[in-house]
Amino acid sequence: MLPEPQPAPVIPHAEFKAALLLALTLALISGFLAYVMYARGVFASTQRLVLVADDSEGAKVGMDLTFSGFPIGRVQRIELAADGKARILIDVPREEARWLRTSTVFTMERGLVGDTRIRAYTGVLDDPPLPEGAMRPVLRGDASAEIPRLIATMRALLENLEHMSGAESSLSASITNVQTVTERMKGRYGALAGVLGSGDNARKVITALDRTNALLASVGEVSAKLDRMIVKADERVFGAAGVMDETQKTIVQLNAVLRDARESLKKADAVLAEAQAVGANTRAATTDLAALRAEVEASLRKVAHLVDEINRKWPFARDTQLKLP
Amino acid sequence: MRQVSSLHRGFSRVLGELGTAFLGGGASWWRVFHFGALALVMALSPATYDRENRAVTANQIYFTAWQVLPWFTLLAALLSLVLIRIVVETTMSYGLSQYALEMVVRVLVLELIPLFAALFVALRSGAAINTEVALMHIRGDFDALRRAGVDPLRRELVPRVIGSAVSVVALAAVSGVIALALAYIGVYGFSPWGFAGYTRMVGHVFDLQVTLGLALKTLLFGLAVAVIPITASLETPREVRLAPVAVLRGMVRLFLVLVLLEGASLAVKYI
Repeated sequence: MLPEPQPAPVIPHAEFKAALLLALTLALISGFLAYVMYARGVFASTQRLVLVADDSEGAKVGMDLTFSGFPIGRVQRIELAADGKARILIDVPREEARWLRTSTVFTMERGLVGDTRIRAYTGVLDDPPLPEGAMRPVLRGDASAEIPRLIATMRALLENLEHMSGAESSLSASITNVQTVTERMKGRYGALAGVLGSGDNARKVITALDRTNALLASVGEVSAKLDRMIVKADERVFGAAGVMDETQKTIVQLNAVLRDARESLKKADAVLAEAQAVGANTRAATTDLAALRAEVEASLRKVAHLVDEINRKWPFARDTQLKLP
Repeated sequence: MRQVSSLHRGFSRVLGELGTAFLGGGASWWRVFHFGALALVMALSPATYDRENRAVTANQIYFTAWQVLPWFTLLAALLSLVLIRIVVETTMSYGLSQYALEMVVRVLVLELIPLFAALFVALRSGAAINTEVALMHIRGDFDALRRAGVDPLRRELVPRVIGSAVSVVALAAVSGVIALALAYIGVYGFSPWGFAGYTRMVGHVFDLQVTLGLALKTLLFGLAVAVIPITASLETPREVRLAPVAVLRGMVRLFLVLVLLEGASLAVKYI
């Protein structure tokens, strides 16, 4: 048999306490809702900014627009425009809008860890403020997009290194050659064998050098003999009664001969002057002859004219040809 | 031949039992929804709150919410403090301290505290309601009430639903606000200069869907904590030896529903 239920204990001010609890809960909830609405900028008046990007990847509704690390706006909507570009609509509270000027640059960066960030950079804060609904391009910087390029470059670099260090590479061949040369250098003939390729060649060079040395010694003797010869020749040429002395005397005699020849030439000059005078006379005679000839030519032209005249006036003559006797 | 026919009989019996169990389960869930809807409508209609009912409801609120509020708040604050410390320390050691606050708020205020409040109320009041209603049902108190011209649904059951719903919502609200304050202190200390960033983060986390989702989830938790045990008690046959079965079934079902609600809320938010 079940025990009979006891009457419920009387709780002092139960209704008041229940109402108090309800009021507290409601106050907390409504206060929190008001705070969230304030935090979401429901009460702040905002200004619209439109960023145009080639690619909206990483951009999310609700993300911040930051300026110097401080959030100054929030993405409200992301849409695809008719020209295929992404339009990121951002609401900026009016009091924060003073940081955005017409010269402000917007970037969208994506790090390796964490969200994409939209940032604003304003170089000149004295520029005119950004108008309501302004449309601006956004520059993209994507750290993770750099990685494939980096890896490709690195792979190329590694491949080059591999080529360089491979067994058939030119670097390896060069090193092998260097090794051969240095091994030869370790031999009896040292560096010479290394340079010339083998010990035989080096020996030949050394032999040649020996011969050259001998040759140089004999050349030295020859040059000593030549020296002596030159001294003797010097004596013969420039000594007393030497070649030079005789030559000087001969030159004096030649001077005398030349003087005589000059005299003779003067006489010949006079003869030539006279001959010139004879020539002048002859020229005058020639001038007279020219006048005479002109006169004869004039007379002949007159006779010819006369004959032409007669021929024209001769009635029966058909032959116009003039026949001179 | 006989073997085959007995196999066939056995098979069809198993199928029949499965079908019955399925239908029974379906009907039982249907009763849960039906009673839940009925209780909600009655709780929202002013006619429910006559003088007698007001007193009963006030008593229920006093027992399920008022009595536990200080202790639960203290417990939740302690848990929040530990979690906030862990998250802040871990994120700082990874150099991601800028995400600490958001993570704390998302994990604590949006997920853990409502679930923690619902589980606490379920453990403390849900089990009590389950047993009490099962005993009243077996004893025939509801029939006696009906004979006396009192609707047992209105007089005994709806006040319990209201009491546990108010309890879950109140506990979650108070602990949530305290956790928000503790998160601010845990990240910024007692400096007032983190307020702008903190406000911004709160605005970022609590968008419309998240806020509505949190409210709906907490309310459903509150309803489930009373509705499921009451339904489980009422559908038990009126035998004293079956009272523990009613409590067991009610609590298991309640736990399942709480986990499903939480899972669904997470799935909607993050998938």
